[in-house]
Amino acid sequence: MTVPAISARAVSKRFGPISALSDVDFVLETGEVHALLGVNGAGKSTFIKILSGVYAKDEGTIEIAGEGFDCRNPKDAIRYGIATVQQHPELVADFTGYENIFLGREAATASFTARMDRTALQRRGDALLSRFPVEIDLSRTIQDMSAVEREIVAILQAIAGENIRILILDEPTSTLTEVEKAVLFRLMKTLRTSGISILYITHRLEEVMEIADRFSVFRGGRMIATMTPDEVREKNLSLAELMLGETMGAVFPKKGEPADLGELVLNVRGLRHGRLFSNIGFQLQRGEILGIFGLVGSGIDELSKVLYGALSKDMGEIELKGEKVSLRSPRDSLKAGIFLVPGDRRIEGLALAQSAIFNTTLANLGRASGFAGFLKRSVNKLKSVEYAGRVALNPPNVTMPVSGFSGGNQQKIVIAKGLFADADVYIFVEPTVGVDIGARAKLYGLMRELSRTAGVIVMSTDCDEVHGISDRSFALYKGRQIASPGTIFTRNQLLMAGIMGDAHHA
Amino acid sequence: MHRHSILPTGLGRSLAFVTLVIIIGAAFTAVEPRFLSTQNIAAVTRHMAANGLAALGLTFVVIVRKFDLSFAGTACFAAMTIGFLIAGGYDLWLCILIGVLAAVVVGTFNGIAISYFGLPDIVTTIATGSIAGGLAFLYSRGRTIFQNFVTSGILDLNDARILGYSVSFFFLIALYAVAWVFMHRTRYGASFYATGENPVSAYFSGVPTKFYTMLAFIICAATSALAVVLILAESGTADTNEGANLLMPAYAGVFLGAALLGGTSVLATLAGTFLITMLLDGFSLLGVPYYYSDGVVSLILLAGVVLFDARVRQLFADLVSFVRPSTQVRENRT
Repeated sequence: MTVPAISARAVSKRFGPISALSDVDFVLETGEVHALLGVNGAGKSTFIKILSGVYAKDEGTIEIAGEGFDCRNPKDAIRYGIATVQQHPELVADFTGYENIFLGREAATASFTARMDRTALQRRGDALLSRFPVEIDLSRTIQDMSAVEREIVAILQAIAGENIRILILDEPTSTLTEVEKAVLFRLMKTLRTSGISILYITHRLEEVMEIADRFSVFRGGRMIATMTPDEVREKNLSLAELMLGETMGAVFPKKGEPADLGELVLNVRGLRHGRLFSNIGFQLQRGEILGIFGLVGSGIDELSKVLYGALSKDMGEIELKGEKVSLRSPRDSLKAGIFLVPGDRRIEGLALAQSAIFNTTLANLGRASGFAGFLKRSVNKLKSVEYAGRVALNPPNVTMPVSGFSGGNQQKIVIAKGLFADADVYIFVEPTVGVDIGARAKLYGLMRELSRTAGVIVMSTDCDEVHGISDRSFALYKGRQIASPGTIFTRNQLLMAGIMGDAHHA
Repeated sequence: MHRHSILPTGLGRSLAFVTLVIIIGAAFTAVEPRFLSTQNIAAVTRHMAANGLAALGLTFVVIVRKFDLSFAGTACFAAMTIGFLIAGGYDLWLCILIGVLAAVVVGTFNGIAISYFGLPDIVTTIATGSIAGGLAFLYSRGRTIFQNFVTSGILDLNDARILGYSVSFFFLIALYAVAWVFMHRTRYGASFYATGENPVSAYFSGVPTKFYTMLAFIICAATSALAVVLILAESGTADTNEGANLLMPAYAGVFLGAALLGGTSVLATLAGTFLITMLLDGFSLLGVPYYYSDGVVSLILLAGVVLFDARVRQLFADLVSFVRPSTQVRENRT
């Protein structure tokens, strides 16, 4: 029998009074792809941080390839052959792929000229590529690369060191499209073939079934199960239920009824922005959710920004509640009654060092203040607490900096901000990226709740999300609006419309 | 995201600040008993007024995460404008008003160039500061202006006392109170903070971020002109050196205050300025030449900036955990 790559017994870790991990037994076999599942706070991040040397375990034993593991910092972990790729890898934007991979290890011997030796870097990079074949042009700079290419550079950087045997990937697919995911999975399979064991965290359950040899589920700081995708299929288990520990209802709420439909709030005609999209037209009523599915680069991000006034339109008309509006900035849009829950909440949605109260009130400071602009502090706090309750913010603490919340809860704060902004049209872009399954169901429920009094648009690169949440939908393919051939899209029609630009082949 | 902190937070920080003031005060008093004399305390409060005014305006610029290196030059231009007008026999308040307006023009130029045209803040303000400092020479070809100063009444601004303290100190406190209310209790202050914290999310939230960035530069120019009025009142003359001594204490006040109290704010700047003024005054009382005391205060400024920088604090936290691996740094996240 071969010695497992990682063998952990009874590992525990506490942070003050909070037990983050208790009594975890775990085995990573050599050359397997092993997924770690669990809702936010279940302990999977703590576990990989122990393996990568960020935290020290409190109790238990860990053996790496049969050797005792005494690791105090990330450098130690690399000595044991463990490399980690963070969720948002830090790469130098204007360096090439080659330069990034060998950053800090440009030369085997210290000398000034060796550092600048581009051909040597290229030779070593190509040698690495021949060991682990993957389609990528490493001579381009990081800023010119797509999300998956950056992920590949980060992985190559991690395994470029000597004798890396174990690779830890933290949510590598959270920002990737379906097509890009396939590229990453091919690389993961290549690595596995060459004997590298892979441990990876993901929130996307369907991926686990696709790529993982085995997976382990964390819940409340404990490892509650390790099994193979085949076992799941045989026994017809639900991964979501395993993670949540309860029988889960459907992730998506019930669809709207025709009786819910109200006033026409948004009427868009012939919208165009440069070469990114053209001739987009749709109507939106109160009481419904309109879904727009499109891949990265299809124009959905730009469309959301044009509708929100952050980008200018070149042609077309936008009518709000029957009146033609000209939206020159988000400020105009907010006044007119449009609120955007942007795709990148950390950059576009939140002031991370500020409290939930600050963030909740920011998009409607007029409502948050009274005479001479004085903030109504007690009212704002009460309102923030009320909205925190409505979105089920966890923990329900409105005074701590929002950077302390998990991704799903940060998204809930952006929604609370939307509630406070009191809009007629809510536009969600990529609403559940990096959000675990439990919080995701809650977010979908909130969208449905919002749609009772307003019109809601959900734009996403996740076809199942668009299809699951929306009452009506269309796809955006290379800036072209692809409508349903029938009255309503089936899931496969929508997928084909978004990927191929043609719904008829489904 | 989790943060590590090696400094106490909230009340702990305030206590740490008070302790620091007491220690420094005791140290100076031990060497030079006159440090606690009413005369010296009055002097500290008077000096604090000029530094504090410049630091107050700079606080706005730092809150929107920009730098203004022009305000020393701008203040000098304002000083010579005021001096020229006083020498011309105009009413004192009119002279001050025009001087402040002259500074506001420079500040507006900075603001528009940096926020609406996206020019780099540091280079732009170095340039405008030099230009303003150069323009200051035009009034008298660089000669000191002193005509009419005694009769204009400007010296009274320095000499007037309420309860034994200079009026300028009360003016400072009043202006800080107004600034505190504006910054920490109104929607406008929230907009300044939102702009600095994350301009993209602020813009997406409907905050006119460019306008607030411009406003910060205008406020900074205006308060540095007010600061130089107090300097003119104390010296009784206007020369082309005025304002040059504002730059370092203002930055030291803002950043040291932020380091001590955990973030840039009106109160933090007041605390920082108090500490800096106390140090500068103590050194001058001891007869330490200014080139030494400036060096010491600048070192303290550097220490403040280092402590203010989250990355450096992280490094310290890592070092501490490396030296004592048993006491692992705690994750604050819940």
